[in-house]
Amino acid sequence: MRMKFLVAVIAVMVLELAPLVAHHAFNSEFDSKRPIKLRGTVTKMEWINPHAWIHVDVKKPDGSVEKWMIEAGTPNTLFRRGFTKNSLQAGTEVLIDGYQSKDGSLRANGRDLTLPNGQTLFLGSSGTGAPYEDKTKSK
Amino acid sequence: MKIISFIAALVVMVAGGVLLTFAQSAQGQAPAVKAKSTTSPPAKTRRTPWGDPDLQGIWNIATSTPLQRPDRVSAKTVLNDEEAVEFQEELAQELNRDRRDGGPEADVNRAYNEHWMDARRLEIVKDKRTSLIVDPPDGRIPALVPPTPEVQKKREAGAAAARRFAAGMPRGPEEMSNPVRCIIRTDRPPYLPTIYNNTYQIFQSPGYVAILVEMIHSARIIPVDGRPHLRTGLRQWLGDTRGRWDGDTLVIETTNFRPDSTFGDADPSTYKLTERLTRVDPDTIAYEFTVEDPKTWTRPWTALIPWNKTQDQLYEYACHEDNYDIVHLLAGARKREKAGEAVK
Amino acid sequence: MRSRLSIFAMGVGLAGIAGLLWLVAIPTEGQSTNVGTFPGSYKAPRMPDGKPNLNGIWQAFTTANWDIQDHEAQPGPHPELMGAYGAGPAGQGVVEGNEIPYQAWALAKKKENYENRMKVDVSSDERWHDLGDPELKCYMPGVPRATYMPFPFQIVQGSGPEPYILMAYEFTSSTRVIRMNWKDEAPAESWMGWSRGRWDGDTLVVDVTGLRKETWFDRAGNFHSDALHVVERYTPVSPYHLQYDVTIEDPQVFTRPWKMSMPLYRRMEKDVQLLEFKCVPFTEELVFGPFRKRSSE
Repeated sequence: MRMKFLVAVIAVMVLELAPLVAHHAFNSEFDSKRPIKLRGTVTKMEWINPHAWIHVDVKKPDGSVEKWMIEAGTPNTLFRRGFTKNSLQAGTEVLIDGYQSKDGSLRANGRDLTLPNGQTLFLGSSGTGAPYEDKTKSK
Repeated sequence: MKIISFIAALVVMVAGGVLLTFAQSAQGQAPAVKAKSTTSPPAKTRRTPWGDPDLQGIWNIATSTPLQRPDRVSAKTVLNDEEAVEFQEELAQELNRDRRDGGPEADVNRAYNEHWMDARRLEIVKDKRTSLIVDPPDGRIPALVPPTPEVQKKREAGAAAARRFAAGMPRGPEEMSNPVRCIIRTDRPPYLPTIYNNTYQIFQSPGYVAILVEMIHSARIIPVDGRPHLRTGLRQWLGDTRGRWDGDTLVIETTNFRPDSTFGDADPSTYKLTERLTRVDPDTIAYEFTVEDPKTWTRPWTALIPWNKTQDQLYEYACHEDNYDIVHLLAGARKREKAGEAVK
Repeated sequence: MRSRLSIFAMGVGLAGIAGLLWLVAIPTEGQSTNVGTFPGSYKAPRMPDGKPNLNGIWQAFTTANWDIQDHEAQPGPHPELMGAYGAGPAGQGVVEGNEIPYQAWALAKKKENYENRMKVDVSSDERWHDLGDPELKCYMPGVPRATYMPFPFQIVQGSGPEPYILMAYEFTSSTRVIRMNWKDEAPAESWMGWSRGRWDGDTLVVDVTGLRKETWFDRAGNFHSDALHVVERYTPVSPYHLQYDVTIEDPQVFTRPWKMSMPLYRRMEKDVQLLEFKCVPFTEELVFGPFRKRSSE
């Protein structure tokens, strides 16, 4: 019964996509056949709309560095939870689990973004003493 | 010399006269800031100092209750407590962005972690309705009127463009939706909940109600002074709105939409949108809208969405200014075409 | 001779009417006929909370959007196509003393901006904003430029406990909220900035920070950094005018603070309202055209 209901709900959601999707459907830009897992160092975060972008240096086994851009959600949601442009410091290490762009560029969506200790990036409210926060600026 | 000074004096005098005329017309126009001498309103209704119902504040319009009633609950307009808990849980589970099941295609479209989203969108409406649509009674958008060949052609062209976009192969910006192009988004009425940035701020001054919508940073400034609509030739993305007070309710009528900005691509010449805002308690506005277009739907339909008072702030949602995605999509498509990929 | 006489007669008639009106006007308005100066004694109408009522649709009638300093009339781009349509009007500057105290490098940058004002290249995210006037690309104009673009804006000011005033601009539906007596800082830079207001007598003083470095002051390439601090003063000086005074401070670009000022005029047309200037579609070919699928491909 529950399952049947769920299927019905999904069907309705597909029909009513317009009010539910993000700024753009991510499968138009990112490739479900190119899942990636990266470990990198944040060089900067662009706190911009319609999507925030996190720039990450990823060291390859041969010692070379790839510069990746990771697409995230609207920063306004984070602002409402107390985060600011100082909340993610350059030099922070992050793990990226996402999908690469369809044209093969060094871009991916940050499907799951975590810190090396397993904590989800930006989960919880600001001022929790998360290792990536600039403590002088948090409220 | 005499003539020159006469002319100078004349100019000054005429200027004085013009100023006076200007002043009179200004006073005729300036909204009166006196409190209305209305019959005493119900004690519970908040009023502005000049006597209008007070809708001011910041409101969150998010909910998980779908616009249209799902099939499984089609017999039920309102759920009992137990059913409501189950309904909310199941909707929240479906909307949850942290889950990684369902295969890569679903996964990539879940985009990013849950906390980038509006948490309130996981809650159903307090009155436990199964759809935001309250009329027709089945909670569904009424059947479409059979399309004219012209409308059919437009829909097919739109569907083809949408298919190319979904494949990541758009030909140009005009094959993308208005929100992707950053032209209009949730600011195009009727206002519907979405996944984030569901914050709306209402301002009032004598003779005006303004609704500031976070996406895409536009304010709908609604005259409530009885003036007529714009003439029909002057069309806008957000239409042209006029308001009036009906007791405690702000009634807004909107016309003059551009053809590419009506709900469901309704025909702008016959499309009519009526919205009603009532502050039913200090923390809630009941937002009800009715859309009608005999050229599109077989009957008018109405939805009711609660707006919840929030302590949150609105933040600027610039969009076009840093819309990297549009270039990623177009340049990516051209790169893939060169590599031999194609979409029918 | 005859026509001169009749003009004279008409003049006398008009003068009589105007003189009568003038006599009436003096006690009613208490206002000098020397247009351009206003009596310091003007007291604006009040809102119920006692604050001056700034509600209305306002517009600057100045050519500052072309150049905030003195400028001659000039042909526009592509005069062979645009003729006088694209040409820019002459104007007297709105900058106090007509001098913008740029640091030496910044003056060179301003000139470079002007040279590149009509160039656009968004092929790289990193260099997305390097070229071109943001107005050309339909980007939100920032503050103070939004105030003196050739488009109206509307102030929606309430009365009572809500600490917010709305400023809505016709150009690309830009908006900003003035947060009154507000302490919190901007969480990040934005195009229209972070505006905090207070009343100083009859003057609404708005302190604006958190502005994106990419906005310009005008089409002449005058610019600033994200250290920009703008203080705006809106003072009602007649029923139809606000005096607008702005102080600009940006230690990264200028050697000292500097000022601009101009009157803002109330739009008086019957039933006048802000209309839409949603210019994004007007810029798509310019900005995104290079990435379009060409029929030959």
